[in-house]
Amino acid sequence: MKKSSIFGLVIIAVAIAVIISIYSSSSSYGSFSDAKKTESQLSVVGFLDKHRELYYDAAKDANYFTFYVKDKKGGECKVIFRGTEPQDFEKSEQIVLTGQMVGEEFHASHILMKCPSKYTQDKVNVTEAQAKSASL
Amino acid sequence: MDKVFKGEHLLPGHLGQFFVVLSFGAALLSAISYYFATTNTNKLDNSWLKMGRLGFYLNTISLLGVGVCLFYLIYNHYFEYHYAWSYTSRSLPVYYIVSGFWNGQEGGFLLWTFWQAVLGNILIWKAKSWEKPVMTVIAFSQVWLATMLLGYYVFGARIGSSPFLLLRNAIPAPIFSNPDYLSFIKDGQGMNPLLQNYWMVIHPPTLFLGLASIVVPFAYAIAGLWQKRYKEWITPAIPYALFGGMILGTGVIMGSLWAYESLNFGGFWAWDPVENASIFPWLLIVGGLHVMIVFKNTGHSFFTATFLVLMSFIMVLYSSFLARSGVLGETSVHSFVDNGMFWHLLSYVLVFLALSISLLVLRRKELPFTKKDEETYSREFWMFVGSIFLALSCFHLILVTSIPVWNRMFNSKVAPPNDLVGHYNVIQASFAMVITILTGFSQFLKYKKTDVTRFFIVTGVYFLVAVLITVPVVYFTGLYKLQFVFLLVMVGSIYSILANGKIFVDAMKGKFKLAGSAVAHIGFALMLVGALIAAGTRSVVSVNDTGSVAVSGFDKAAGDARENIMIYKNEPVKMGPYTVTYVGDSTSEPNHYYKVDYKRYDAAGKIAEEFMLKPHAQLNGGTSLTSSPDTRHYLFHDLYTHVTALPMPKVTATGDAQTDAAHGDAENDDKNYDPPVAHEIAVGDTIRYREGYIVLKAMKKESSIQNIPLTDSDIAIGAQLQIVSNNQTYTAEPIYLIKGKGVYYFDRKAEDAGLKLRLSKIIPDRNKVEITVYQQPENKKPWIVMRALDFPYINFLWTGTLMMILGFLISIFRRNKEVKTA
Repeated sequence: MKKSSIFGLVIIAVAIAVIISIYSSSSSYGSFSDAKKTESQLSVVGFLDKHRELYYDAAKDANYFTFYVKDKKGGECKVIFRGTEPQDFEKSEQIVLTGQMVGEEFHASHILMKCPSKYTQDKVNVTEAQAKSASL
Repeated sequence: MDKVFKGEHLLPGHLGQFFVVLSFGAALLSAISYYFATTNTNKLDNSWLKMGRLGFYLNTISLLGVGVCLFYLIYNHYFEYHYAWSYTSRSLPVYYIVSGFWNGQEGGFLLWTFWQAVLGNILIWKAKSWEKPVMTVIAFSQVWLATMLLGYYVFGARIGSSPFLLLRNAIPAPIFSNPDYLSFIKDGQGMNPLLQNYWMVIHPPTLFLGLASIVVPFAYAIAGLWQKRYKEWITPAIPYALFGGMILGTGVIMGSLWAYESLNFGGFWAWDPVENASIFPWLLIVGGLHVMIVFKNTGHSFFTATFLVLMSFIMVLYSSFLARSGVLGETSVHSFVDNGMFWHLLSYVLVFLALSISLLVLRRKELPFTKKDEETYSREFWMFVGSIFLALSCFHLILVTSIPVWNRMFNSKVAPPNDLVGHYNVIQASFAMVITILTGFSQFLKYKKTDVTRFFIVTGVYFLVAVLITVPVVYFTGLYKLQFVFLLVMVGSIYSILANGKIFVDAMKGKFKLAGSAVAHIGFALMLVGALIAAGTRSVVSVNDTGSVAVSGFDKAAGDARENIMIYKNEPVKMGPYTVTYVGDSTSEPNHYYKVDYKRYDAAGKIAEEFMLKPHAQLNGGTSLTSSPDTRHYLFHDLYTHVTALPMPKVTATGDAQTDAAHGDAENDDKNYDPPVAHEIAVGDTIRYREGYIVLKAMKKESSIQNIPLTDSDIAIGAQLQIVSNNQTYTAEPIYLIKGKGVYYFDRKAEDAGLKLRLSKIIPDRNKVEITVYQQPENKKPWIVMRALDFPYINFLWTGTLMMILGFLISIFRRNKEVKTA
């Protein structure tokens, strides 16, 4: 067999490995009720319930922020985020949470917000917050 | 009849719009003329060529006209224009007016098409026999970019978006029925304060020059296929490909330096889709460059070279589509929303993709494929392998970044991986490992054929040395805590530095012009070393081990992150090796600066180092916080600090300090303090309280109190107090007033010490007074929550970048000479 064909096969194998690894690590969008049924991490798209309290008390714990989110199916859930209130959080129109259910609370490791920007109305600003950990 | 509006300046807009249309027409004329100039068989007939040039010059001039008109609107604050209104305001400093120019999508396109025009003019001047076919492609690309700026409705669909759109046509609002509406629009929306940064002035032009320059090698490739000059197109295209790789790389790293210096996500790269999209073309053009050189030297890899060069321009178009079409909405931090150009942007990609593919298919039988395989121990074979791996790395980025595109195409609902950053890091590191090792050992191979035994010995020795160096590096930086693949990248990078270092030393002895690739490879490897250590062993300095209450039932699901620390004003807190104190704020609109004092003590308890960091934040109406870091730079690490939470005005209701009189708000104000404590003391006595002590220095009879007139029968006595708290000294003088039959207290606050003091009683017979101490409870005192990170060895990243740019530059000179001699 020619060397180039061997190399071609190697490339195809790498490409397939990449696709499989993306496929296996990709998650899915769901609702809080889906999150209750699974042990694994899930992304939930929803809206901040602005009528309920956003709790953050830096004096008690500077890394503890809770709020309530309504998912697209109308289910509401308390969300806990290990960090400070993300930028423009209260202005958000839509939130994408990544995390998992622990008991009746959703522990978010990552929050992505879509906000109408104050400065440029043509642009929708999306900001991001993450409970960061120091590992690569 | 059209309504007449007062005060509008319509002329510059009409003129600008005229130039927009002219630029489109001229580009079209140029493209068509160049096409016929290329296909014309009569060698003596230069008329088409002249017309093509004329069209292109006209296009360039009209683009300058567009730029001047747009600048005129912005500079004069003509807010009747949507663009000026959206992105600038009267208070914006002049140098940001320049960046207001490319703040919007239209400005971005304008910048892009302007650079493409500049490159076109250079090609008209330099390209000689290649001018006709190459300029056909460039002019054709100019046509597409011009349509992006048109802003006309054709059959109900809007084509492009004009920067000269009037505000009243852009936004429907009742105010525009008033002919005098402009007198109500006093100011523009202004620029997002985050963008008011010097990087915004230089980063976009650099990035767009990089993106625009990829069209040149693409045009050469198309021209080569079209004119069947397969073997010839590569040599003149190499310098342009080098230039594109250099500028695009610079632009991308500038973006990450900007993010690191002034954004608050705590790093220099976040794998955001828009960031990824900007390196698709870079990876492919760098890959393409290597196989172009292979083809030039050996005649191998023609197809790969052509394909990668073609695809790198397609990726420029695709990344523009991703960033601007709104398709990334749910995954990206900084993409635009769709402003009705989804299909227009997509068609730009598809037309050029179709052109590339069909030319390749059409010419497939004639392409100079080599019959013989490359030698296994030849440089060309492994350079080819390296290019393919660059392409694979790009392939992976495209697949993941495009998840929203796949969702849209297949109507699926796949979310990106949960640990997206980890996913990218691991897979991209695997490719980086292969690529660095290849850039290392291919240096010991020669083109065509190499002495195998010697090769194995040399490369083996170098590899061993690299491993020996890596061990202590990994040990001392703490990299060993990471996944194994990152250690392999480290070995690969160090190996690459050593191998290319040898080439560099050899080059210094004689053929200096050959040093370009060695310098660029060393730079690339250094970048990886810096990025790897800085991102991988980044440590959180602001670890919150005191004052936090453990929250029960909380597990690692939400990340074991306790990165934020709360500090009260003037209360030193121990944080890692530092003692930090929040000492005060200052304001320079729109920024609020928070002064954080850092002290580091040596073993003997002496101050080894002291410095001040001033992270700043913008309080958007007191409801949300936009914060920017301040970083202390050292040679081998950076200390990065930013504010993550502040007491918002709604919670800090403390009244105005010095002007509070005894009435009114005082009752309410007392609620901000702990229950008061009264102390009976004489002059010279000391009151102890939670955070220090207060000394009564003297009593003094006052002759006036603020603006209250005093008569002889009134008695006003002040108590001069000295407060010592946390090694700081403050003074306060509360006053006791008997006026008529009433007694009034003039309390005084020592805001920084969190105290309010009242002279509440005078006891003349015992020569004593009563001082009432109101102390703020902890949570009413001014505080900030901040996060501090330490980035070790990040300077390697920036140094590596500079070296890589330098390497590209040296290579451009070398390859440019080769074009001239060829």
